Amino acid sequence: MSTPSNQPSSKNWYKWFDPRGKDLGSYAFILNRITALGLTFYLFLHLIVLGQLAIGPEAYDNFMAMLHNPIFVFGELLVVIAGIYHGLNGLRVALTSFGIAIPYQKQIFIGLLVLTVLGSLYFAVRMFTA
Amino acid sequence: MLATKSTPKSGEGMWLWLIKIASGILIILLLLLHFIVNHTGLISITENGLLTHEGVVQYYSNPLIPLIEILFLVFVVSHSLIGLRSIVLDLKPSRSLLKGINWVFGIVGVVAIVYGIWLVFQILSFLPA
Repeated sequence: MSTPSNQPSSKNWYKWFDPRGKDLGSYAFILNRITALGLTFYLFLHLIVLGQLAIGPEAYDNFMAMLHNPIFVFGELLVVIAGIYHGLNGLRVALTSFGIAIPYQKQIFIGLLVLTVLGSLYFAVRMFTA
Repeated sequence: MLATKSTPKSGEGMWLWLIKIASGILIILLLLLHFIVNHTGLISITENGLLTHEGVVQYYSNPLIPLIEILFLVFVVSHSLIGLRSIVLDLKPSRSLLKGINWVFGIVGVVAIVYGIWLVFQILSFLPA
């Protein structure tokens, strides 16, 4: 039995990276996964780094001082943006998974994109001017 | 965008899917709290956020806090690993490979949670008796 071309399979994994022929919902899904991977990476970094807390006050406070470096601030901004998008889109998925607001999916998605952009701008300003 | 329901994928049973959604919603709530505590002065103990070791230890003096933090960790690790597994499922692994993958995710999850609980107790050990 042949599977229709849009079904997941290991044979056409490279189609994940083909930007053609994808609709808005596909991009929402792809962004959700990309932000998920980014956040997962951050999660494990975060857990390791919190080990500094366990060592003691000096280790932790030294580490906190290092975090003022703009590279780290930028990294944290990426985490914030990813978190906002992933959370809001996740809410959209949760709603539609239970059959709520399905005909309005597109509007909800555009709305959450706008919120993500606004949130990103707000935190970018806040984090780089503190 | 199709006006169709989002449905669970094969290989991911109903419970994992449900836990993923439930943990996701709980994470949003707990993350809000986590952010307010760590980065704002809205809760009196934390002044400008938890910026020093001493601040963190003091925050943990309320026994509700370690409990909430551990729950937060469990939700985040579960959500993350179930989600990673969903991505892997799209590569259609064979049944035996999937079993191996399940074990790896399970062990990583347990290790992460145990480590996190150990961390919480390390922080608590700094509290004056």
